Amino acid sequence: MNRTQAPKIKTVDAIDLLAVEQIKLDNGIPVYIINSGEQEIVKIDFVFEAGKWYEPKNLLADFVNRMMREGVKGKSAKEIADIFEFYGSNLESSVSFTNAGFQIYSLSKHLPHILPLLMEIFTEASFPEDEFLTMLNNRKQKHTERLAKNDYIANRNFLSAMWGQEHPYGRVTEFQDFENVNTGQLKDFYSSYYNAGNCFILIAGKLDDAIIKSLNSVFGAKAWLGAKAPHDINYHPHPNAELRQHTEKKDSVQSSVMIGNATINKYHPDFDKLSVVNTVFGGYFGSRLMANIREEKGYTYGIFSSLSSYQHGGILEISAEVGKEVSEATINEVHNEIKAMRNELIDEEELDTVKNYLTGRLMRSVDGPMKYSDVYKGLILYGRDSDYINEYLHTIHTITAEEIRELSVKYLDFDRMYKVTVG
Amino acid sequence: MIHFEELVLPNGLKILVHEDPSTPLAAVNILYKVGARDEDSSRTGFAHLFEHFMFEGSVNIPDFDTELQIAGGDNNAFTSNDVTNYYDILPATNLETAFWLESDRMLSLDFNIDSLETQKKVVCEEFKEHYINQPYGDVWHKLSALAYKVHPYQWPTIGLELSHVENAKMEDVRDFFYKYYRPRNAVMVVAGGVKTKEVEKLALKWFGDIPSGELIPHDLPKEPEQTEERVLVLHEDVPLNAIYKAYKMCDRRHDDYQATDFIRDMLSTGDSSRLYHELVKDKKIFSSVAAYLSETIDDGIFIIEGKLNPDVSMDDADAAIINCITKLSDDVSEDELQKVKNKTEAFLTFSDTNILNRAMNLAYYDMLGNAADVNTEIDKYMAVTTTQIKRVAKNIFNKNRCSTVKYFKK
Repeated sequence: MNRTQAPKIKTVDAIDLLAVEQIKLDNGIPVYIINSGEQEIVKIDFVFEAGKWYEPKNLLADFVNRMMREGVKGKSAKEIADIFEFYGSNLESSVSFTNAGFQIYSLSKHLPHILPLLMEIFTEASFPEDEFLTMLNNRKQKHTERLAKNDYIANRNFLSAMWGQEHPYGRVTEFQDFENVNTGQLKDFYSSYYNAGNCFILIAGKLDDAIIKSLNSVFGAKAWLGAKAPHDINYHPHPNAELRQHTEKKDSVQSSVMIGNATINKYHPDFDKLSVVNTVFGGYFGSRLMANIREEKGYTYGIFSSLSSYQHGGILEISAEVGKEVSEATINEVHNEIKAMRNELIDEEELDTVKNYLTGRLMRSVDGPMKYSDVYKGLILYGRDSDYINEYLHTIHTITAEEIRELSVKYLDFDRMYKVTVG
Repeated sequence: MIHFEELVLPNGLKILVHEDPSTPLAAVNILYKVGARDEDSSRTGFAHLFEHFMFEGSVNIPDFDTELQIAGGDNNAFTSNDVTNYYDILPATNLETAFWLESDRMLSLDFNIDSLETQKKVVCEEFKEHYINQPYGDVWHKLSALAYKVHPYQWPTIGLELSHVENAKMEDVRDFFYKYYRPRNAVMVVAGGVKTKEVEKLALKWFGDIPSGELIPHDLPKEPEQTEERVLVLHEDVPLNAIYKAYKMCDRRHDDYQATDFIRDMLSTGDSSRLYHELVKDKKIFSSVAAYLSETIDDGIFIIEGKLNPDVSMDDADAAIINCITKLSDDVSEDELQKVKNKTEAFLTFSDTNILNRAMNLAYYDMLGNAADVNTEIDKYMAVTTTQIKRVAKNIFNKNRCSTVKYFKK
């Protein structure tokens, strides 16, 4: 046996995906169903187009989402929590730029106790004043905590420089914002955006007809129909002309470094290929940035670049916590790696590594109903279906070294990037 | 229910195989029975630094990560006080790649001095990122040193100080490897879309000729019973005043462990939990509270932390925690117990859906004594009674077994 010789690798040409069935409840709410798994468990996502894009004031979307479980007609926050938690269900909520949602994890046998309460949260939230004040205080405290962290400050400076304070992607929270919201505004936002006409549902797990029927009987009523979120709200970015930004923290032993710029989103035909470029550059453990700045220089515990897509734009960003004395050296090395991406052709071995790595990552991301439903949710947001997964796999497999260089020239432009340091 | 088969190679390497034909992926998990508790007090942080070094090239393969990525895989590792755990997850069709890689780094390493120097720097940056350049980042150092006077849990896995990492020598790395990274001191789990027969064949082929080494006993001093309240007051540049309390609790194999875990749930899991409801919502003493266990194999600590609201005094905050937790000694309803049982049933069922979790759990329970216990853990939780909860709470929440760190912002 020759231990220097790697075993033969099989490449994966297509990924077998779980079936996704789509139905509509009586009131028209689309429901995406992934019926698979051995355990008697269910995960249900309720997605409302009620994200930060639609809030007339900072914090509203987030606070509404949080406050919905802090009281409904006839039930206090404690009573609501008691019911969910008695049945071992975990209710998570989240707010992004476009959407706001609830995700419930439950043993199937307890669903009949849980679903009606969720419906009350969606339609009868009461926004009690005392709970609002407690939440406001706790959020202010959290904000105070975050402001003590360099990476948080760097992220604020980075986003607001790129988009400007008036744009939802660049708007950062100030203490004054906490004083400007009240429960009246929360109730208005709630009644405008949380309704059956502005919602879709994803359900994953070991399912039977009774579960699907119960979805319809609990959430299918026409009475909570309402308007879809308006699609004519537009904001224009007001980027800061100053690309280099530094905040001094004299006691820090490290600096937070963020480098990047606004870029294309998933609606752009280059996006999928650019995601491969990003992977080569800084998107995985074996990336150029990691190999150079962590594994060769030892400047940081980790440096990554990431490509984020939102409905109205995208962001390419590189971030790291580095020794204070090497923050300029790190920026220089990032510049060098960008030059290499733009000027040199990637060799076949590295490109194959990235292709195989991305294939494996894609397989892992859709393995099992729980993970696949998260991926599928992302597809719905861009009007795609499951075919996209294998199309993306095809893009990964067919991208060439020349294309990677071309896209690097087009999208990795150090001179246009913001360079933000805190430390 | 996680079904599995057990193989033991002639060199003593134990391999547990869990077949799950529903996934096209395979998880390979190797747990080495060595952690920060096995370190010398003058060379702390070594087990963790060594974990980094395990990715720096083995005797025949210069680059572990790249080879695994070529096979479509990904990997990571962690070091705790008790163990060092490595895992790979990759398409099951490329399972042999993981065997090739893992066996080579169990056989021997490259012991490259430049790599060691770079990893020392990387670990020092990790140390700074998580333990120095963070508000409250030093709390684990302070709390461990306060709670443990004899047992090596008195230092965190990252190490006591940067200089311990900086001073690590190649000679130490070599000795550590040949002592702890031997087949008899490891347990391997292969899970997912694999066949036991195939795993057996691959195991013999790749791991069969590695010298067996020995199972290294952990002859650790038992932490003496704590008999006095310990308090450390810090004035630091932190954003909010904060309190951390660590109470001594039982070891991982003790019959009271599950009841202790339930107490943690009752105190701080979810919005209905006692600490959150009483001290955040009702009395508004804290803006956030949490309780957790150190999850160590030897005698552990039960930690409660809170960030104080403005205008609340540290003494009042401390007293409020004590008042809230001591009520568990005489007032626990059947309903509340049923709540945490339901939560645990759901939690264990959900965590079972992930093959990597299953693989890691099998390895961990094997290290604790018996891999099959992974399937009976739930029964231990379901057997807990309110009487036991009250007794255990009374035993734990004793001020003479408590260590408290108080942060005052400068």
